[in-house]
Amino acid sequence: MPLIRVVKRQEPLGWGSCLVLAAAIGLSLLLSGIVLYIGGTSPIEGIVVLFKGAFGNRYALEDAIIKATPIFLCSLGVALAFKLQVWNIGAEGQFALGAVGATWVALSLPESPSYVVLPLMIIMAAVAGGLWGLIPAVLRQKLKTNEIIVTLMMNYIAILILDYLVYGIWKDPASFGFPMTPEFSEAAIVGKIGSTNYSWGLVHCLVLGVSFWVFLKYSRLGYEIKASGDNVRAAKYAGIPYDRLVMLVMVLSGALAAWAGFLEASSTINRLQPSIMAGYGYTAIVVAWLARLNPFYIGVASFMLAGLRVGVEGLQLDLQVPAAFGGIIEGLLLLTVLAGGLFTSYRIVVTRKAHEH
Amino acid sequence: MAEAPVIKLEKISKSFGEVRANHDISLDIHEGRILALLGENGAGKSTLMSLLAGQSLPDSGTIYFNGRPVSFSSTEKAIEAGIGMVYQHFKLVEAMTVAENIFLGRSDKTWLSRKALNRSVAEVADQYTMQVDADMVVADLSMGEKQQVEILKLLFRQSNILIFDEPTAVLTPHEANNLFETMKQMKKDGKAIVFISHKLEEVMSIADDIAILKRGEIVGVMEAGSVSSTRELAEMMVGREVLLEVDHHPMEPRQQVLKVAGLQEEGLKDLNFEIRQGEIVGIVGVAGNGQKPLVESVCGLKRVDVGVITLLGRDSRDFFSSRSWDKALSYIPEDRQGLATCQGLDLLDNFLLTTRQGFQVGPWLPVNEARQKLEYLIEEFDIRPPNANLLAWQLSGGNLQKMVLSREFYRKPRLIVAEQPTQGLDIAAAEDVWNLLLKAREQAGILMITGDLSEALELSDRIGVMYDGHLVNMFSRDNEEMIEAIPQMMAGLA
Repeated sequence: MPLIRVVKRQEPLGWGSCLVLAAAIGLSLLLSGIVLYIGGTSPIEGIVVLFKGAFGNRYALEDAIIKATPIFLCSLGVALAFKLQVWNIGAEGQFALGAVGATWVALSLPESPSYVVLPLMIIMAAVAGGLWGLIPAVLRQKLKTNEIIVTLMMNYIAILILDYLVYGIWKDPASFGFPMTPEFSEAAIVGKIGSTNYSWGLVHCLVLGVSFWVFLKYSRLGYEIKASGDNVRAAKYAGIPYDRLVMLVMVLSGALAAWAGFLEASSTINRLQPSIMAGYGYTAIVVAWLARLNPFYIGVASFMLAGLRVGVEGLQLDLQVPAAFGGIIEGLLLLTVLAGGLFTSYRIVVTRKAHEH
Repeated sequence: MAEAPVIKLEKISKSFGEVRANHDISLDIHEGRILALLGENGAGKSTLMSLLAGQSLPDSGTIYFNGRPVSFSSTEKAIEAGIGMVYQHFKLVEAMTVAENIFLGRSDKTWLSRKALNRSVAEVADQYTMQVDADMVVADLSMGEKQQVEILKLLFRQSNILIFDEPTAVLTPHEANNLFETMKQMKKDGKAIVFISHKLEEVMSIADDIAILKRGEIVGVMEAGSVSSTRELAEMMVGREVLLEVDHHPMEPRQQVLKVAGLQEEGLKDLNFEIRQGEIVGIVGVAGNGQKPLVESVCGLKRVDVGVITLLGRDSRDFFSSRSWDKALSYIPEDRQGLATCQGLDLLDNFLLTTRQGFQVGPWLPVNEARQKLEYLIEEFDIRPPNANLLAWQLSGGNLQKMVLSREFYRKPRLIVAEQPTQGLDIAAAEDVWNLLLKAREQAGILMITGDLSEALELSDRIGVMYDGHLVNMFSRDNEEMIEAIPQMMAGLA
């Protein structure tokens, strides 16, 4: 009888890991096809419609980029916390609070010019989101709470705060009772680049992504995050102020997600309404893992998963596949890619009993 | 001892690189007897046991099982021969029950009756005076109970030779007594037991035979009955024979760099001493007598509640709140892998760990200068392989220690705390380290914790002996009378 054993690799896999990634994505598509088949849709047709709908025309591409923007920023945020081995699941709530903070400034200063109101919106969003990240960090370091649970619970609180505001004091009197704020003034909207359909938010992403990379690679704090993420005991041995580092990282992490909330409110929907919460903060976690916390790959993975969301909309219209299918593919993708990680650091060895004697 | 041994080791040697972990070891393990293997950390106990467990093969020598030469080339073969290990770190599935853990991978049946499993576990547990409940989830058990599960696993596997690696290290005294009862019962049933420890009293009370391991060699095997006192064991364990000599010339102690006054922590009882620039103070004692909390308090890893520690003239809280990277404190810990380095990072990042402030420019950390410095140090300290891009875990223990030492000496410390600085190093590397410490003494005061008496005698200007959290005595290296009495003090008899 053959024996299957798992053996740790001494050398990294190198280019073979691309193969593993491709196989993982292929497997997730295969499994998605099976799900489609069970639902009574032709799998091949379904996958083709999905891809065409996602990347097949200019409007789809534009839509994917618009959706990729908040995913990218939220994902940078959670990736920063993950680097320190702090499991921030709260990008969703930090995103909501960022949108609330930015909206507050936009509604309070309807007459101000954009060079005043936009920076203030960003600052207020970052303060609100950063604070939302700081609370679980303080609780973790002072009271040894589990940050996964606290950040997750605070997501619900944040979303309820947002709902409270748009259903209540911020509701537009002219909205026929719909829960939404008035539209922001022209000055409070991040506009499009030239005559294209792409928002200046893309430039924000580029600048923040590069800053993220430079910060981690070249700053002393970036070094301290790397060292603490590898070995907390060694960090304390070396006098790295670990508690303060966790708090700082969670503030930055929250601020990045909040920046996404600001852009979404200001650039994409031009107001605050409950539909702003589209689950980007959770997709961001999937993206961060798929990209192994690397900012460049986070960009690629954000675009892919945003495309998936767009493609599923087409699938829903053309083939009446439920919207939940998008979530299923996202989950399958994460599972297969994570499972594929086993093959990049381990080898599977099949031995036959007879060989041993 | 008339019976033939079930396991006989003959001239077993095993080296890792240049380090002789085991050298020319011959040892008999008998059924129905408890053999204690006594030795300081790093004496080669774990290596010897890993050879018996089939985790690695000896470089030379033969293992005989019931008189036949065998080669334990895999753990399966050792298990087949009836050898079972109880490790310090338990290998249990926390989320499963006791019975599930015991039968994990053991049965070839598809369906198992939980009741029947629980009943058979309870029977065996009862037979060996263990009180563990077969239906409890392992995560809810105490350390002692988890250990009982490990033992039960071996009993169900029909292991006849049971090896316990420092089993009492994680137990309360009461749990330890229970374990001894279990061991006695197993002995009655004709099982062979190997008991690894460095606790002298325990060894005296439970063992039939005692083998003492020092620097990879057996320095004595005796029947427990023929040992008159723990002092005799301590003396053999730490030894006094000088393996290498260094030039220790007297130096005038200058200003005080460390003062410990009335320090009272968990495991410490009213410690008072001071260290001056220009002297090495060696603290000797059997491991676990308060050395660890002392070091942790002095090095700022543990808050000082009762007592005062003054470092370089500043109160410890003040000292650690604004520590300076150079000309201050360097701590060379015993735990090189877990505390002194980040195993997943490369040597450059590990070099920056305690020296980063020295290369910082504003908020940035340019690494080019640090890389040059490190490459120079790698050459000077002969760290192998000489590659700053290697990850820390890829280095051998000795080379990793040299890496840590080079980093810590680069900081030009005024106070050095060195914990087992030459443990696991080969003779040549140990000599280098000794010379480095003596040289550092010109600028610094050194607190050295060691389990190796010859190291303490060779290097120290003053020697302190710790037992049960007390600093039993502290005296000059010239005080022959006191030096004679060190083993007695270490055994708590002074």
